[in-house]
Amino acid sequence: MTRRKGTASPERLTTVVVLRLYVAGGAPNSMQAIANLEAICAEYLKDGHRLEVVDILDNPRRAMAEGVLVTPSLTKLSPLPAAQVVGNLSDKKRVLQALGLKPHGK
Amino acid sequence: MGALERRAIAAGEIDAVIDYGSANVIVFPAARRALRDTAKRASAAERKATLETPERNAILAALPRAEYRRLLPALEQVMLESGDVLCEAGAPIRHVYFPVDCVVCLLTKIDSQQTVATGLVGYEGMVGLPLALGVRASSVRAVVQVAGTALRIPATRFSNEFQRGLQLQNQLYRYAQVKLDLARQTAACIASHRIEQRLACWLLMFDDRAMSQEILLTQEQLANDLNVRRESVTATSVVLCSRGLIGHSRGRISILDRKGLETVSCDCYRPIEIAEAARRFR
Repeated sequence: MTRRKGTASPERLTTVVVLRLYVAGGAPNSMQAIANLEAICAEYLKDGHRLEVVDILDNPRRAMAEGVLVTPSLTKLSPLPAAQVVGNLSDKKRVLQALGLKPHGK
Repeated sequence: MGALERRAIAAGEIDAVIDYGSANVIVFPAARRALRDTAKRASAAERKATLETPERNAILAALPRAEYRRLLPALEQVMLESGDVLCEAGAPIRHVYFPVDCVVCLLTKIDSQQTVATGLVGYEGMVGLPLALGVRASSVRAVVQVAGTALRIPATRFSNEFQRGLQLQNQLYRYAQVKLDLARQTAACIASHRIEQRLACWLLMFDDRAMSQEILLTQEQLANDLNVRRESVTATSVVLCSRGLIGHSRGRISILDRKGLETVSCDCYRPIEIAEAARRFR
């Protein structure tokens, strides 16, 4: 694998990325969001992340407390700045951007 | 709602929105359908799980795990109602039934009008035994008398599995012998014993197989089973009731004094061998 000089390699990230994904039970977009996010985490963050999945059908007030309007909805809590992506996370570029990561090979 | 959310909704990527006014989650129709289907699948999985634990039918419970697992994909759980005919005398057997909490009566034809009960099958047994002995047609009419659940398997599939399963063969040969003995005993009983004795014996056998305290049987059914006049059943029931042995109201019979009923019954009464059942249930 070739890496561009001067780009922070995601494999060498020392900070842990803390993520929270809000889903609606086993609804299709929610399931897809979980799968997409897990794939991205496995590829880019390896062990350097913590992911919590919150089901709003069980816990709507918690989502409200954090200003979530729709599901699926992904929030990056740490490192700052916080970021949010809504939808089934099939747009990998947008997810990486929100996570502050650069796509491989670019 | 921001542009981000609106765009995602338009793209069909959203399952639900939160209504902050009522603190309710509004699930979109497509997601709701999918959730409902998932719930259905989960209940199907639950049903499958009940099939995974066969201890509610003694024959299936006695099979080694590997043999049971081989049967499992072909087993179907069915709800049977009182009066359902599982097979007709002389007709090919289409399914083999393993009762769980229903009771099936085996009726032997006497003439075009009359039948008499010559066997009773509950959780301890199986309906469709002739298949295990290489006969494809039933010699009796099998009628459900106490509604409940059973596991069934198509006849051809059963025959195939029977050829392969040594333990299943052992179980069913032993069961066939028990049934044969019981049929012989019943024949002797019908020829020799008074209706009071026969009714007591029949009720005890029912009670052994029915899972509930009360047995749902009309006097009409009892008269058909024993091939006696209905009036005789009524009169006998009244006697047994007056002696405090059974309770009877609106087609429900409850046994109040088992020991007492056993003393009235003829010696033809054969309990389901408790030791045998226990060994089967392991």
